[in-house]
Amino acid sequence: MLQSRAIAFAFVAPALLFLAAILGWPLVQAVLLSLQDVRVIGSPGAFVGLSNYERVLGAPAFWRAVGLSAVWVLANAVLQTALALAAALVLNEKFPGVRIARTWIIITWIVPTVVVVVIWRWLFSTSGGMINPLLLQAGLIERPVGFFATPWTAMATLVFINSWRWFPFIALMVLAGLTRVPEELYEAARIDGANAWERFKSITWPLLAPTLSVLAVIGTLLSFNVFDIIWLLTAGGPAGGSRTLPVLIYETAFKGYRLSEAAAISVIATVLLMAFAILATRTLEKGEER
Amino acid sequence: MSRGLGWNVVLAACLLFFAALIGLPFWWVLTGSIKIPQEIIARMPTMIPHSFTLQHYQKLFSASDYPVYLINSLIVATASTVLTLLLALPAAYAFFRLRFPGRAIAYRTILLAYAFPSIVVLIPLFGLFAKVGLVDRLPALILVNTAFALPFAIWMLRSFLAGIPKEIEEAAVMDGAPTLTLLRHIMIPLIAPGIASVGIYAFITAWTEYVFASVLILSDAKRTLPVGFSGIIGQYQIDWGLLLAGASVAIIPVVTLFAFVGRGFVSGLTEGAVK
Amino acid sequence: MQSWLRDSDPGIRISDNVIGVPTGKREPTMRTLLKAALAGATLMTPASAALAQDKVELTLWHMEQPPHRVQRVQEVIDAFNAANPDIVVKQEPQNWGEVYAKAPAAIAAGQGPDLLFAIPDFTPILKDIGALNSVEDFVKELDAKHDFVDSAVEAYSYDGGVWAVPLYNMAMNLWYRKSVFQEAGIEVPETWEEWKAAAEALSKDGVYGIGLPANKQLYTDQTVYSFMVNGGATEIYNEDGSLRFDNPETVASYRFYADMHKMSPADSTSWTWGEAEACFSSRSCAMVLQFTVIATYDTQAEGDAADLGVAAIPHAEGQEGHNTISYANAVMILAKDEAKREAAEKFISFLLEPENYGRFLNMEPGLFMPVTADGAKAESFWSDPMVQKYKSQIETVIQNAANGRLFGFTSGRTFPSIAAISAQNIIAETLQNMVVNGQSAEEAVAAGQARMEEVSKQ
Repeated sequence: MLQSRAIAFAFVAPALLFLAAILGWPLVQAVLLSLQDVRVIGSPGAFVGLSNYERVLGAPAFWRAVGLSAVWVLANAVLQTALALAAALVLNEKFPGVRIARTWIIITWIVPTVVVVVIWRWLFSTSGGMINPLLLQAGLIERPVGFFATPWTAMATLVFINSWRWFPFIALMVLAGLTRVPEELYEAARIDGANAWERFKSITWPLLAPTLSVLAVIGTLLSFNVFDIIWLLTAGGPAGGSRTLPVLIYETAFKGYRLSEAAAISVIATVLLMAFAILATRTLEKGEER
Repeated sequence: MSRGLGWNVVLAACLLFFAALIGLPFWWVLTGSIKIPQEIIARMPTMIPHSFTLQHYQKLFSASDYPVYLINSLIVATASTVLTLLLALPAAYAFFRLRFPGRAIAYRTILLAYAFPSIVVLIPLFGLFAKVGLVDRLPALILVNTAFALPFAIWMLRSFLAGIPKEIEEAAVMDGAPTLTLLRHIMIPLIAPGIASVGIYAFITAWTEYVFASVLILSDAKRTLPVGFSGIIGQYQIDWGLLLAGASVAIIPVVTLFAFVGRGFVSGLTEGAVK
Repeated sequence: MQSWLRDSDPGIRISDNVIGVPTGKREPTMRTLLKAALAGATLMTPASAALAQDKVELTLWHMEQPPHRVQRVQEVIDAFNAANPDIVVKQEPQNWGEVYAKAPAAIAAGQGPDLLFAIPDFTPILKDIGALNSVEDFVKELDAKHDFVDSAVEAYSYDGGVWAVPLYNMAMNLWYRKSVFQEAGIEVPETWEEWKAAAEALSKDGVYGIGLPANKQLYTDQTVYSFMVNGGATEIYNEDGSLRFDNPETVASYRFYADMHKMSPADSTSWTWGEAEACFSSRSCAMVLQFTVIATYDTQAEGDAADLGVAAIPHAEGQEGHNTISYANAVMILAKDEAKREAAEKFISFLLEPENYGRFLNMEPGLFMPVTADGAKAESFWSDPMVQKYKSQIETVIQNAANGRLFGFTSGRTFPSIAAISAQNIIAETLQNMVVNGQSAEEAVAAGQARMEEVSKQ
């Protein structure tokens, strides 16, 4: 028993120590930084207590970013899950080329984000892009649309691009759940005269729901942290319409040169995210124990 | 499973939709990269190129260190993959099978690391790496990318392990196999597809990472592909042709790699990722 | 500035608590070797390795990242290295998007460059972390030899020193196609009324009369200020350092800009320099305000030199003469080591020598204008094939640049808070409040002044 305990520690310790060094220690540093008044990296700062937190929590810009982050996460979760579910249901069918489709659907995810950004920036642009002329030709619009022009459309376009990148990955996870639904159940339902929708509602959905909830949690955590796509496409604009928390953190640190204030926002963001993660994992674990 | 005609039509429509959603952008990028500049920015774009030129590729390779970026990215991604697996495998096994004090807390902590706003550690990490002389060196990126992939890797491997029938493992334990032997000769081969999937996950995480690579690397010779790619775009002008050529070249290596291992990745994922 | 990396905006924060930081000063050779021996190769930075070889190695960071510019800079560097066997210069192109975060970080880590290119708003931040020494004497020496454009030096002169050596100038111009004007029966506009009438006449058949940005970004700061200097709103500070942004001329300039912007493409709220040029090249925009469009026009559009028109920016009724915004780019010397500083000065002197200077400027023909009198006449500048081809346009651009101004650096009224104001793009933000959020010019400008006062205080 003692020996197995030693083995367990030997197995777990490297990963834990590694994470402590690369993520934990810098996090401690970030907390310390948030209690000082450092403006530029490398310059010394004085201890100022919680005044950065006071300033941040009193700033409308911060609360707006919290709201936008919530919108961002929620919209992504909905769109990604919907697309992923649809794609997974299609891929679960049998048709010629299904194996190829199952493999290559993931291509949007293996391309570097920067490339994704350039692709969509080009496709959506009003000069030289592809989407606007297509919509014009189809008679859907009369003048080219500025997809990043207003806060609302910019947010929607960003959500689309991010979901485009991630939904295939999630679709495969959903597919994993689907392949585990025994075929006999469907057969039995068919014999009972259930149509496709009824079969989906009474068999597929209940069996898939736990998988989907795990994926929703993961998707939330993943998309909360998305920074590069937003930053490279809109830099949080226009008029702050896509300035989510990670963007606000970067902007405060590197455009406003208020490093400590940025650290304070980071710490609050971490607490928020962790609270969500703890709550979510608790709920999921309860589900698992059933 | 037999399908009615109506259902077949719906299925075909869905397939077409997804094929267009995923395929068209790539088609446009690849074909755009061989069009002459005037055709790329024409107000009425062409679906099928009317012109053919390799000038964008020539410009790309003559004027930037694209092959160097490519090699750097491959080094970083491969090393991150290996390191992630080395750390994640034993940890996942321990969390899955072994009992030890603090197990639940440790596991939860690792999952929390997954919920970490990575941007938080950018500045402190720069300071840390500066102290140990890792700024502007590829190992810095390997460490960072491993840290980002590790929590998910442990979580995924643990659920793959959970998919192994308990009898197999018990039989081995009865035979008196030590833990390490058990892990190496029985468990690992059984979850090989899962390991492949996790490995690819780690590889792609490192392959696509941009923010840390852009700040931690100072010199051109050590840039990774995403950062090098961002560098070929002019300050005051956009050369779409060059960009599309760059995008194509950035896509091709992973696509090639994926052509070999892609199926394993997908079947690995679908077999064991989600319990 | 990296056109789609939208964070190219200078960020500067000036405060009292920012004191000197450890700099890139190299330790003596023996200690470096000892350290290397102790800690392994990881601690050997390239620079300290070079010291061991008795050659002075200089690292140059610049933000001219497009491949053809990097190539041209390399050619100039190669020529310098060949002529100076005891010095090795190497370049590390960076991008504007990251350099604001990276440069202070790298300097703090002791891995900063020895030479770093700058725009006026970038210099104060490095000066304030103690990374710069005044180069006043060196600039005087160069001035005696080459005769700098005064405004270029002024943009780097404050707090009792000169903090960077001017290298090249950029000024905004109005670009159009002569044939398009002719077809529409339009003369080159001189005043705002004529300009607006021209833009209206050109807005037809899916063509936008004018492409103006409204992004919260440096390009918009530049175009808006180009309107302001032509509308009598050049000064944003009073002589005592208080802000005078909120005045009738500024309001009128903003109102006119927002009016003209209605004739721009819908996505111009997310534009940076590149999109404006692309719009012009693809003939979607009839006019644009830009430093230069020559390279894009030549390679991606029709490239007919005789058809490309460039003019000074029109002015408001009642104003006289055409003004523009001009940006003097410069190079900062970050090296603290005496030998390195000397080598850096040698390299800068080399760049500014008329026989090399033109080759250097022409890394992007038509964009970088000489900041020295003898540079403006240099054979090496005018002999470039691209410059030859677009000679008349480039002459006009140089002429326009003579009336260049830069917000916060006018009439000797340079106050530190301009750094924060331009870092956070408050001039552009004010415009966005009008065109995105629908505020009136009065409201937006008043709010803009309040924001400027707020960031000045922090």
